[in-house]
Amino acid sequence: MTARGVLGGVTLVVLLANVPFVIHRDDVLNFLVLTLLTIALAQSWNIVGGYAGQVNLGHAAFFGLGALVTRTLWIAGTPVLAAMLAGAAVAVAFALAVGGAAFRLRGAYFAIGTLALGEILRITVGNTLPEISTLPATSIATYGLATRYWLALGIASLSVLAVAWLAGSRLGLGLQAIREDEGAAEATGVGVLRLKLLALVISTALAGLAGGAFAYYHISYYPSHAFGPQWTFDAVLVTFIGGVGTLHGPVLGAVFYVLLKEYLAIRWVDFHLLIFGVLFVAIVLLLPGGLVEVATKLRQLPRGVARPRS
Amino acid sequence: MIALLPQQLVLGLLIGGLYGLAAAGLSLVFGVLKVLNVAHGELIMLGGYGAFWLFALAGVDPFASLVLVIPATLALGAVLYWALFGWVVRYHEETRIKNSLLIGFGLALALHALAVRLWTADERSITTAYAGSVIEIAGLTVPLVRLASLVVAFALIGALHLLLTRWRWGRAIRAAADDWEAALLTGIDVRRAYVLAFALGTSLAGAAGVLVSVGYSISPSIGLEWTLKALIVIVLAGLGSTFGTFAGGLVLGVAEAVSATVFGGPYREVVGLVIFFVVLVARPQGLFAR
Amino acid sequence: MPESAAAHPRAALLDVEGVAASYGPFLALSDVTLSLHAGEIVALLGSNGAGKSTLIRCISGLLRPRAGDIRWDGASLVGVPAHAIVERGIALVPEGRRLFPSMTVEEHLDLGAFAPRARAERARSLDEVHAIFPVLHERRKELVSSLSGGQQQMVAIGRALMAAPRLLILDEPSLGLAPRVVESILGVLGDINRRGVSILLVEQNVHAALGLAHRAYILESGRVAGEGTGRALLDDPHVRRAYLGPLAARS
Repeated sequence: MTARGVLGGVTLVVLLANVPFVIHRDDVLNFLVLTLLTIALAQSWNIVGGYAGQVNLGHAAFFGLGALVTRTLWIAGTPVLAAMLAGAAVAVAFALAVGGAAFRLRGAYFAIGTLALGEILRITVGNTLPEISTLPATSIATYGLATRYWLALGIASLSVLAVAWLAGSRLGLGLQAIREDEGAAEATGVGVLRLKLLALVISTALAGLAGGAFAYYHISYYPSHAFGPQWTFDAVLVTFIGGVGTLHGPVLGAVFYVLLKEYLAIRWVDFHLLIFGVLFVAIVLLLPGGLVEVATKLRQLPRGVARPRS
Repeated sequence: MIALLPQQLVLGLLIGGLYGLAAAGLSLVFGVLKVLNVAHGELIMLGGYGAFWLFALAGVDPFASLVLVIPATLALGAVLYWALFGWVVRYHEETRIKNSLLIGFGLALALHALAVRLWTADERSITTAYAGSVIEIAGLTVPLVRLASLVVAFALIGALHLLLTRWRWGRAIRAAADDWEAALLTGIDVRRAYVLAFALGTSLAGAAGVLVSVGYSISPSIGLEWTLKALIVIVLAGLGSTFGTFAGGLVLGVAEAVSATVFGGPYREVVGLVIFFVVLVARPQGLFAR
Repeated sequence: MPESAAAHPRAALLDVEGVAASYGPFLALSDVTLSLHAGEIVALLGSNGAGKSTLIRCISGLLRPRAGDIRWDGASLVGVPAHAIVERGIALVPEGRRLFPSMTVEEHLDLGAFAPRARAERARSLDEVHAIFPVLHERRKELVSSLSGGQQQMVAIGRALMAAPRLLILDEPSLGLAPRVVESILGVLGDINRRGVSILLVEQNVHAALGLAHRAYILESGRVAGEGTGRALLDDPHVRRAYLGPLAARS
């Protein structure tokens, strides 16, 4: 990460942190919370799906576990941050429990295997906890949107930081080697399973935290809703459209996604999924680098003409 | 509870036939093109709405609507191949499967959203005049419509088997599945065999959808569930044998019925998924081998 | 084009002119020129990696050459899809036989006559194949996996002959077969040639190949290093080197 990038990032976070003091509109804050949570979720998916190249279609399970544990502990009186940490820990524990088995699967088989895992969890939770979870009246009375906003901002920043660190680390390089050619990585002595599990731990810890923030943010929802495949699908869409395996991709993708979703929702519910479904296919087929690639190309165009190589 | 088992088994067998039919199309496409179309369930959903529309707008009997839905989904399959899946067949196998999975994923989302726009998110089923008819056999109740669906599913599987063994292009499709390069060297236009296989797979999905809409119910979000059912059946039955796939569907139907009786109705789905994951992990490479 | 063949009785059936080809960054063929006349058996010799299989992949349309031209009966084959090349009368028996595991002997022969022109001659071709390999008639209902290696090779050759080819290309037909079986398979090639089919033979077994072929080419590192009749080539130092390829490389 360049010095300019760090400076820009810090400035952006400081600016965003001051938004609740300046803007007192709930709709704007809600929109930003949604965007920040989407960034966190997509960025956490990006670690295993983008950097390590393992398309995890069961990501919602970890988001859901984080939400479930956080919600339960928090409503029982645990401080929310502690509850979220516990939620992340449970998500990681589940990841370690199934990761060894799931990573025996490669490519598309990993994808459908994790999809099945996610569904197993969703259905089981739906069966065991069929009741809607609503905050007690006392919590609703003291509900502060700004707190939720800062929490979401913190987790989104954490996820971006994690990926920024990962991209330059030995772990990140190892993951990219696995993505390019798993057999070759194994042959050159990269401990493939260990690296994949490490990536999964970071990814699911962040997903668990994002789930915790979701549980802290929403006033009422069905517990199984947080396990729904749409959370995974959102993460996959956002990451691919933004630029899979890049730092900026999930951020860019999330902003674009939530903007279009909210804009279209005014007139047509779910219509954004039609657009994003088509866009996603187009990106897989024609533009594997996503929006980030478009942005890079656009920026290089005028500069390339003016100063070929300074 | 165990007293209910025989009745549950009958219902399990009846829906198992549809699982088999749903899996046959996905299995054909995967076996021949090495393309994993995770939008298969959404194609089933479209077939179901095709029948629903024909019934609601023109009063066409759902079983008769197969005559229209099958050719329409054949054409749809050819279009989807040309527009989407045909692009990935030039990659080597691992990339091909992964990219096809992603394309199928995007297609599934788009079709789901489109269905919500066209038909709303409500659950629907086709209620014909004979919808409630049942036959009593040895104290067991057999819904007539579901029995007819099973028979039609079996007939379609038989027709597929005949196509793949007797028809010139059917044999070409099998040759392309075994070894596409050798098939090319035999003078077979492999691209054309691929289009045909994909179109056939899509029309099998469409036909399955019609049967689902008449004996059961459809909504825009049934796609994922049916894709998973088809995948589970393929894992159980392997690739390559048409009747084997059908039998795999029946096995899944029965397994679900047993688990629903033993663990309670809500766990019907979980058992199949657990079997799927365990078998998948136990045979990570040889899974879809013939 | 029959007219041009009549006008130039020595005009080649197959002309490979300056063909270069590569797999990714690796140049596998550079500037290969050779020809084959109607009725000939031509052997293609060379050590592993010399480019024999690459050249065959170019001729049969599986690989597009980067430069040069391949002319068949006067018309270019470059860019013609592989299945259409079969229809034009070139059939390949690929290395390793490449049979369809899920199919019977009969189904292989039936598929062999898939191209429209071959289908018209299906019955006659089938009689011919059964005359050449009677065992294929006896075991027609069996899956190919139940056959011996030699019999599987017969199915592969039979499948190619069902395409009613004017040129039969064989890539290492003796690979992995017992010496006696090799002898009988190679013996059959002379028989097939006498029925009017030209043959391009890639073979490691240089003695046998040169004994059978009218002419031969030596490929080395992606180019033609020698050409001539069988006997003349056996005395050529290039041939000796190609023949002793691995040993020469070691010294």
